[in-house]
Amino acid sequence: MSKTSENPQTKHLVGRRAWRPAWPARPDRVLHRRRYFGTKRSVLKLSGQFNPKTLKREVVLTDKKPMFWLFGLFLLVAIPTAVGSERFLSLFGIICIYASINVMWTLIMGTAGLQSFATLATVGVGSYGAAYLSITFGLPWPLMLLVGLVLGIAMGFLISLPARRLDGLYYALLTLGLSEFCRNFVTQNEALGGKFNGALFGSARIVPSDMMTTRLGQTLAFLTTFIVLLVALAVFRWMNGGRIGLLLKTAATSKEDEAFASAIGIDWQRARMIVFMVASGVLGALGAFYSTYIGGTSLQIFSLDLLLLMLAMIVIGGLGRAEGAVIGTVIVVGITQWFTDWGPWRIVLAGALALLSVLYTRNGLFGLKEQMREIRTRRQALHRAAQTTKYAEFLPQQAPDIHDKSIIAGRTFERELREKLRGWITPEIIEEHRRSPLGQHSDHLERILNYFRKGPLPDKYAVYTEVPFQSYRVVALSGMPGVPPRIVDDKTYGSLDEAYHAVFMRRINDLKAS
Amino acid sequence: MSILKLTGISAGYGPMRVLHDLDLTVEPGERLGLVGLNGHGKTTLLSTIVGLTGWQDGSIIFEGKEIGGRRTHGVGRKTPGIVRSGIALAPQGDAIFPGLSVKDNLDSGAYTSASWRSRKRRRDSVITVFPPLGKLLKQSAGTLSGGERRMVSVGRALMSDSKLYLVDEPSLGLAPKISMGLVAALCEIDIGEGAMIIAEQNLPLLEGRVDRMLGMHAGEIKLDVGEALGDVPPSAGGMH
Amino acid sequence: MIELIISAAVLASMYGLVAIGISFTWASIGMLNLAQGFIFTAGGYAAYLYAQTLTNMGITEGPVMSIGLLVSGMAGSAVAGLFVGSIAFLPLQDRANFRTRGLIATLAISLIGTQLWLIFFGPQSKPLPPIFGTGRIEIGSGGVSYSQLGAIVIATLMLTAVIMWMRSSRAGLQMRAMMMNPLGAAVVGVSVRVTGMRVLAISGALTGLASVMLAQTFFVSPTSGVQPLTVGLIISLAGGLGSIPGTVIAAAIVGLAEALTARYLAQSLVPFVLFGIVVLILVFRPRGLGGLLEDVRE
Repeated sequence: MSKTSENPQTKHLVGRRAWRPAWPARPDRVLHRRRYFGTKRSVLKLSGQFNPKTLKREVVLTDKKPMFWLFGLFLLVAIPTAVGSERFLSLFGIICIYASINVMWTLIMGTAGLQSFATLATVGVGSYGAAYLSITFGLPWPLMLLVGLVLGIAMGFLISLPARRLDGLYYALLTLGLSEFCRNFVTQNEALGGKFNGALFGSARIVPSDMMTTRLGQTLAFLTTFIVLLVALAVFRWMNGGRIGLLLKTAATSKEDEAFASAIGIDWQRARMIVFMVASGVLGALGAFYSTYIGGTSLQIFSLDLLLLMLAMIVIGGLGRAEGAVIGTVIVVGITQWFTDWGPWRIVLAGALALLSVLYTRNGLFGLKEQMREIRTRRQALHRAAQTTKYAEFLPQQAPDIHDKSIIAGRTFERELREKLRGWITPEIIEEHRRSPLGQHSDHLERILNYFRKGPLPDKYAVYTEVPFQSYRVVALSGMPGVPPRIVDDKTYGSLDEAYHAVFMRRINDLKAS
Repeated sequence: MSILKLTGISAGYGPMRVLHDLDLTVEPGERLGLVGLNGHGKTTLLSTIVGLTGWQDGSIIFEGKEIGGRRTHGVGRKTPGIVRSGIALAPQGDAIFPGLSVKDNLDSGAYTSASWRSRKRRRDSVITVFPPLGKLLKQSAGTLSGGERRMVSVGRALMSDSKLYLVDEPSLGLAPKISMGLVAALCEIDIGEGAMIIAEQNLPLLEGRVDRMLGMHAGEIKLDVGEALGDVPPSAGGMH
Repeated sequence: MIELIISAAVLASMYGLVAIGISFTWASIGMLNLAQGFIFTAGGYAAYLYAQTLTNMGITEGPVMSIGLLVSGMAGSAVAGLFVGSIAFLPLQDRANFRTRGLIATLAISLIGTQLWLIFFGPQSKPLPPIFGTGRIEIGSGGVSYSQLGAIVIATLMLTAVIMWMRSSRAGLQMRAMMMNPLGAAVVGVSVRVTGMRVLAISGALTGLASVMLAQTFFVSPTSGVQPLTVGLIISLAGGLGSIPGTVIAAAIVGLAEALTARYLAQSLVPFVLFGIVVLILVFRPRGLGGLLEDVRE
């Protein structure tokens, strides 16, 4: 038995307050929020509060996400650097590159809402263009990145042309074929290494190839990939979290949304194109970076399987979220690059993971929390709906205008009570009342009478004495001061007991009809 | 034996509960009118019988076979089976096939192989009920007017050899004269040992034409309308 | 000239079979089956297994071999289609976001499928024995080989048969009904799940046919489904998803363009010409050549 359940005070916990990191505030300083340069957005969401236990002021981090990001990125850079083996460094290098590509893809699919599968085609064009120019004209690596950027933007422009006209689905299919076509083109083009099965080698590298045999060189190469990932994340944040991302969120999900966005004056098409161009430029530059990283490029970049693997990464992590893209990449690349001795089975495993997450989760790993919450709410709602079969006048959802829920509870109780009393009304009870309206009664009759007595004043029946001991009538009270009772029918009764019983019968009938 | 027996039916969509624990029995050869205002559960009741609501609970016995039960997901998954067991529904909004010709639309109602073989005879008998359809057979159903679409939808339901016909709001969105003719035609169809339930907002349309009328109010079946017209939800008052 | 037309017609009929499978599936069950490449390869391997069995028994040609190859290819692909359906269609069919999730699920299946072929059959291309013999008919300056002729004839026959069946039979009417209005279909007793699986099997069979006949020239390999899938996608897009006449016309255009480009320009330009044509078609008619169905559906 745990200690908490014995303690009567903690027995009825109704929820737990989320833990938030807090630290003492400097009493001499006003809480100062740092902002990103040139914007009004704060770096960390901080708020000041007074701690009732320590009686001190403290600063609280309201949004914990940056903490997890920092921790995750720290692990990503620390593990390989600390281990330092060549295999580890290259594994994490590839993770960083793929993660950056996926983050950009997420930007296109999530933020811009364009279902484009031309990601790897753009990367490949940047990669091949930069490698080719570097091999033929001896371009140094900074120029290669620039060439990649320009090629990416050009490619993005070309691909975006049909996007304005086409529906999402059509566009997805159109772009899916693109990388296969690029692959064909390269295979049949001699200058691009068609002879060597599309492999181009010997381009410039950021870390010179003679250094790549040392641990220092490998670490440096890995660090460049990490910096690239940071750049990609920064671009994502800049676009997705900025004004343009906000504009696009208005037009995000459906045709109606788009119409609505247009109606309130948002040029979402333009915003979408800007995001798409920026992402494509970065993708092209990423391709060029890939060439500088491995000192060339190969046809693998255009293969459908790689595209599908990248899609699997995004799907496993959760579509539309940068953290999903990174985590998904870590998982899938981890499986496919680490367990190389499994052969094709590792790709089967990755595909199966993607399949499972699409079959059973709504939005990958990072959508799980929301999904669980939704399942819970639905269960509760169904349970509540099933429960109300017998007792409730109406569901709380159906009476949204009643804010005081005790009124609903009160009516529910009344209904329950009436139902019970109705079951007790028998000829015997009525006969008993007829015999002696006043005095001691059986338990059931007494309870019924009590219920009648506590009824509300308006329309309550009463006995009116026309002539004492001779003629009585049944009246209904108005319930308002100054307004006389109304006579309910033209019957007169010879004795008080008869009148009492007549009132009783009226109430019984009302109870039956309610 | 009654043809349809509902006991303790509750149904709704998501957290919303539309039907509240209602019971209903339909006898063979009976034409039943279901009247009530918009949003009081008529359509939901008909959908519940064929399993098209978000969730439902309670027993539905059709010709001695249980077709209801508790269900919280899988909207419409059991519908084809239920329909094939002999319940034809002409749903609200018609749900006809706009790209097919009127003839194909009608034929699609004959889903059992027996009725498929005799589809020509069936089509002819539908045309005797709705003569305007005779001239439209070749036309694409998407180009029809509202009244004609409704006829196609109801006609499609009549093409099957169902025991129970459910007709949802035959007058909805139609001119009074057209809906009058439609309902009159519906009420003259020979249903033999089967039964028909017509859900309708417009009370006078059904008055005197159906064997029994029930009022629906806030997801519950109210008294027989024949006895207590005054008790029927505002629809009655509004219409007179 | 004749050779050009013939090769265009062969390409058109083969791609057309795959494209109609994709288009048909999408129109009736609302799922884009991107595992069509996997289904394609499945047919090829099924035919390969059949050929091996027969060869082991000592039969290398003849009608048993030819017809058996076609039938086993179709059967293999139909089974693969049912397999895809039971994984990606049945569990997802009435869930939220079915379209996107179905698309991703089929993509995942195609990723897994390629690797499974690699595991079970190895990376080498497998040849199939000739179905239609190896002869040639000389017509004027050019000629046409038996296998080209056979491919065209069989594809045309098969397509006509399927279209006729769709037009006249009860099952065909049900499928067309389901394309138009799923609620209406449910109300007239058409089970989306059963009919959907039937559709997947039929489009699988069409794809399998194309697979066996294309394998005559290109052999069967784990990735041999990629090219037909992409071209099939392109054609079904240009034809307007769900429109059979549109798809046939688009297949003809694409086949002709591919043959012309390969002959007068360069093989390496084929992809770009195809892509350009499709983009042009889609820019002028965003719903494809025959894509009126979409509007009707909405």
